[in-house]
Amino acid sequence: MSAANGSALREHAATVVVSALSTMFAVALILTTGVMGAALDPTLIEESGTFRMTLLMVSFIFIIIALYVGAIVTANTFATIIAGRTRTIALYRLVGSTSARIRSRVAGEGLLMGAIGAVIGFVLAEALIAGVVAIGPGLGWLPEGRDYPLFDPLAIVAVAIVALTTWAAAWAGSRRVGSVSPIAATGASVELRPEESRGRRARTVWAWILIVIGVVLLALGIVASIFSPMALMIAFFGGLFSFTGIAIGAHFIMPPILKLTGKLIDRGPTGSLAAANAVRFPERSARSTIGLVIGVTLVVMFAVALDSYRAMTLIAFDNDPMMAAMLNETLAITTAIFTGLVGFSAIIAAVGLVNTLSLSVLQRTRELGLLRALGFTGSQVRRMVVAESAQMTVAALGFGIVLGVFYGWVAAQTLLGSEVGFAAPSVPWLVVAGVVVFGVALALIAAAAPARRAVRVSPVTALAVD
Amino acid sequence: MNAQAAAIETVAGVANLGKYYGNGEQRVVALHDVSVGIGRGQFTAIMGPSGSGKSTLMHVMAGLDTPSAGKVWLGGDEISGLGDAELTKLRRRRIGFIFQAFNLVPTLDVRGNIMLPFQLDGKKPSLQEMAWIDALLGQLGLAERLDHRPHELSGGQQQRVAIARALATKPDVIFADEPTGALDSRTGREVLKLLRSAVTNSGQSIVMVTHDPIAASYADRIVFLGDGKIVADRGAMTAEEISATMLNLEGHGA
Repeated sequence: MSAANGSALREHAATVVVSALSTMFAVALILTTGVMGAALDPTLIEESGTFRMTLLMVSFIFIIIALYVGAIVTANTFATIIAGRTRTIALYRLVGSTSARIRSRVAGEGLLMGAIGAVIGFVLAEALIAGVVAIGPGLGWLPEGRDYPLFDPLAIVAVAIVALTTWAAAWAGSRRVGSVSPIAATGASVELRPEESRGRRARTVWAWILIVIGVVLLALGIVASIFSPMALMIAFFGGLFSFTGIAIGAHFIMPPILKLTGKLIDRGPTGSLAAANAVRFPERSARSTIGLVIGVTLVVMFAVALDSYRAMTLIAFDNDPMMAAMLNETLAITTAIFTGLVGFSAIIAAVGLVNTLSLSVLQRTRELGLLRALGFTGSQVRRMVVAESAQMTVAALGFGIVLGVFYGWVAAQTLLGSEVGFAAPSVPWLVVAGVVVFGVALALIAAAAPARRAVRVSPVTALAVD
Repeated sequence: MNAQAAAIETVAGVANLGKYYGNGEQRVVALHDVSVGIGRGQFTAIMGPSGSGKSTLMHVMAGLDTPSAGKVWLGGDEISGLGDAELTKLRRRRIGFIFQAFNLVPTLDVRGNIMLPFQLDGKKPSLQEMAWIDALLGQLGLAERLDHRPHELSGGQQQRVAIARALATKPDVIFADEPTGALDSRTGREVLKLLRSAVTNSGQSIVMVTHDPIAASYADRIVFLGDGKIVADRGAMTAEEISATMLNLEGHGA
């Protein structure tokens, strides 16, 4: 029983962490807007309402991005958990449980874990803001003698929304419960079956439609940028459509990219097995990498857009060094804040990637034992897991950076093209280097625990008939 | 014990082998003072009821597990003192494995699975070895299925791929753990005939762990285990004789 609880905890750890991070992010942003509103000069009290509203609107965009990425991660986690529970589910089906009932129980676990995570996140955010308000005035961050609000009803709404989103994501991720046959309980085989490609045609068609419309609008925007800064509006919708298309079409877009990065590590038996493993469940790999692609794209896009904007306007303010210096500083701060806010989604996505790898190693104990029996050394098994991790991270990072540079450039170009003509994208190498360092650290962290577990698999225990 | 075995050169074996789990009161004896030599070019079956220690014996002989006491050797080399890395390298070419199920790496096709031991060793198969592998693939009817992945094959076909992989490196010994356990009886008989012919025609040494008297009747020699000890060691027998021996031994044990 305790073993079962232990593995349940491990299975749901990612869900709790993701909902805690999402809630912490949302609540901290909401409370921060209140604190910033209170920090405004009291003589401007009339203005503070509108100021707070504007801040909240901007915050909501980042919160929604974080929630969206979090939901993808949770749905993916649950899909992976269901794959590992096939035998147990089959047993329940065998003794007469309906799949609808099993599925709603699984979704219920999601609601519970989401609620636990949301409460943890809420407490952390409250503690964080209370700490800032307590020491902020002393350090000169905030004006003294103000009444800073430590609570906002919106924070409770955020907690509820995160819990409910987790519930919905768990429900969406557990749809494969319905395809488990009771007969699976009687089979001796515990081999993971390849995911059958489901009826994805509608989704694929929609993804293509959005991508095509988006690309056409982006092209129109770039052409129109020569005439008017209004081209940004056309390009904005182009970006929105094409990027949404990419996100929902991840199941056919990511596998070829993963195969491509797989070629980099396809050396010898270790590399070629790792390369094959990462695309073994194409939908699972697609889901677990697309979150990171979204995060990285947004970070790089904001950074490139602002940097290109800075470079282009500096050309315009060539003869006004005062103005140029001020603009430089403002944009640097804006870039840092935006990167930080969007980067949070990338961290949530990273949790998902770590978790996918971890669960997939856990579910492959038998296969790892076979490899050990056939002559894989412990360090070869370790290298295989690290290579898988690297392949997924490189694919997500590489694709995200390419998309981010493109979208960022289009944004700056369409806004300022009528002033400065065509300009090459200005890439802030510091941000890109930061993303790469983050990626390398992620690949290693993601692989560390599963690799240790994989090495510990003895050829005998893995091959024991259960 | 067996007059016939004494005349035959041994290719692997254990002497005074013990395998124990836990300590003190909780100590469980899996094997105690077991000595047996495996004849070169022989088909040896190891039989016994569940919990008799037959799988543990195979795991220790195959370098998958380490003994608590006694010696284990393979070819001319003692392997009981070897570390994990050395045992792993040994398993690549000098030992072949056929398990009951889950024998094949799911992400590799038939060709990849058969070539895996060579790749792991970092050596390309020689021309001679390639000719041998081609001949095997033909014999086993796998030539047309080289690009298939395991989930596209039937249980019997999967088992034939496992046999091809085990035979490909011409190892000192092939260990087969209930190789027919997951197959229907007709497919099971085909697999047993293939193992039998590998011994008869190619001189391959095979050790098979089984509790199925029909499977054991294909062997040249049958070693019976009970409660962690060897209780009988006989030459070839019919399935009926094996069943009778088993029942007899169970009766004595109770």
